[in-house]
Amino acid sequence: MSLAANRMNEIAGLQDQLESAGYVAEAGLAATLLLTLDLGRPLLVEGEAGVGKTEIAKAFATVQSTRIIRLQCYEGLDVHAAMYEWNYQRQLLAIKLLEQDDRPLAAKEKDIFSEDYLLKRPLLEAISCDESPVLLIDEVDRADEAFEAYLLELLSDFQISIPELGTVDAVTKPLVIITSNGTRELSDALRRRCLYQFIEYPDFAKELAIVKIKAPQAADDLARQVVAFVQQVRRMELQKMPGIAETLDWTAALLRMGITVINDEGAEHIIDTLSALIKTRDDRTGFTSDVVSRIAATC
Amino acid sequence: MLTVAALEQSNVGTVLLKRIAGFTSFLHANGYGVSAADSVNVVDAAALTGVLDQAILRWNLKSLLCNRYEEWKRFDALFDAYFLPANIKVFVERGAAVGKPEVGTTGDDDPRELSATPENAVVDETQAARYGASREGNLSSTDFGKLDQADQARKIEALMRRLARRLKLLKLRREVRSQRGRRLDLQGTIRQSVSSGGIPLRLAWKTRRRVRPRLVLLLDVSRSMNSYSFFYLRLARALCNELADVHCFVFSTRITSVGEALRDPDPWRAQERLGVLAAGWSGGTRIGECLQDFNRGQGARLVHSRTGVIIVSDGYDTGEPAQLAAALGTLRKRARRIVWFNPLLNQPDFSPVAGGMQAAMPYLDLLAPGADLAAVERAMPQLIESLR
Repeated sequence: MSLAANRMNEIAGLQDQLESAGYVAEAGLAATLLLTLDLGRPLLVEGEAGVGKTEIAKAFATVQSTRIIRLQCYEGLDVHAAMYEWNYQRQLLAIKLLEQDDRPLAAKEKDIFSEDYLLKRPLLEAISCDESPVLLIDEVDRADEAFEAYLLELLSDFQISIPELGTVDAVTKPLVIITSNGTRELSDALRRRCLYQFIEYPDFAKELAIVKIKAPQAADDLARQVVAFVQQVRRMELQKMPGIAETLDWTAALLRMGITVINDEGAEHIIDTLSALIKTRDDRTGFTSDVVSRIAATC
Repeated sequence: MLTVAALEQSNVGTVLLKRIAGFTSFLHANGYGVSAADSVNVVDAAALTGVLDQAILRWNLKSLLCNRYEEWKRFDALFDAYFLPANIKVFVERGAAVGKPEVGTTGDDDPRELSATPENAVVDETQAARYGASREGNLSSTDFGKLDQADQARKIEALMRRLARRLKLLKLRREVRSQRGRRLDLQGTIRQSVSSGGIPLRLAWKTRRRVRPRLVLLLDVSRSMNSYSFFYLRLARALCNELADVHCFVFSTRITSVGEALRDPDPWRAQERLGVLAAGWSGGTRIGECLQDFNRGQGARLVHSRTGVIIVSDGYDTGEPAQLAAALGTLRKRARRIVWFNPLLNQPDFSPVAGGMQAAMPYLDLLAPGADLAAVERAMPQLIESLR
């Protein structure tokens, strides 16, 4: 079998595995994930909110049957919250206890600054696992530029230097998946180190497959109508587009209300459930029963 | 990859790899930020997966060579143009369709990139280079061909940089003062006390959340603004270089982000990239439509409660004033402050009676004259201050 055909099989295999882990991935995404494994480079995933960026990491961890370590970024995230921190309370206790000890000072000091007193935060934990985990760095654009620089150092060398302890080298290289919503422009240096993937809102077929996997209790016809409805809604001018999570929520809401078919007659009932799909007041006022029944009629 | 089947038997490895490496130069010529290291990575990936399958090659190259969304969405067209000569007709047609100055399309693909596809099948590096040269020719015809020649220009640039730096200082001072209402940080105090044997000699304080104001510049580059757009692009470049969170867009009949191009450390490249973006400049103005486009696309994620929006325009709008009012109303709800610089405001016989200007007035925090640097300098500190 040729190299390419072999690769095609691998890609299809990974797609199947991801699907059984609850994630519907295009072949392109599966190919990129395989490449991430092969080259050992981080993967930068961008896309609108709610298209399933974070889910990729979770599903990929399931497929690799490894654990996922998640670092949620926020404004003001610092090295203590992301990499490591000393357990000061324990260290203070130890200092008190060691006062009675007559070992030389250097030995005591080594004791206090040993790994026992180190609190591992996600980044340190990710490089000191025995089995390589999936490291999810979520919404990296929310962290400051300074943190991005720290991150670059980790991503290029896979080592963290702790002044009191020395350099900690990676036991295994984690599979790094970075997500960004684009609230801030990321540095070119970070982008250059990563493979890149942009995730669009799903098309009809993909979203239908997702609904079928995640909400199996919905009948085929309803699922198809739900997806057709949401796809129509995404074509409207809204402040907040519904993501995949909203589609699933809305499906659940419809089921809960006992609605089994979407048509223009049931518009009133559908409006009651729209709070699961439409998330701002301005958008909501645009959904009069006229509008809803017009969309529903086309589904 | 038409020739692949025939070549497969012979010793094709090197030929193919060379061709794929040529693709990186092709992308570079089309404004992609690819480096020499990327070519190496491409070859590595090719060794892993083979190069004989078009789909796999496309996926691999796409994830390796794209760095941002703008590159991502253009990639497929460029890939086809380079590797699939048979499809050329399709692309020429599509390029023509995009090239129409049609209202409402945001111009996803730059038509000139697509027309870079030569009539004959093979695109090689020399052709890519020739294409780059033609782009420069185009550039000199637009207004800011002067961007880095004149002495005067350099002087004004220095002035602007000084202004930007002053703005930065202003911001810092506010941050320092905000620490006055600080609270004790227990964890930090203990951390510091370890060095003094557990006695908290030095106290640590919690400072207030760091303020990160954001500026969004929307510059009118239509014909009526011709003599000022150059001046404001300079200012935008200075601001982009000094302040971290500045986002710049230009509009005439459609709105385009130029932040990337302005931030380019190489002034020549910056000029070249602006030249590419300048396609369709110096036409009429449709302010309302452009702002609406902005609200719908970038605005949704860029503009938040600590964002100052600066609009630079003379207010001569060929679109509907109502549309401008609606767009500004939406923007008003999101942004902290909207400042409108109107370069004509200083002229004694000018009053803002243009329909667009009239419609905009209720939504503005400040309508300032903006014909010279001094005017800008008067308005800016106030704006930055309000973003705290």
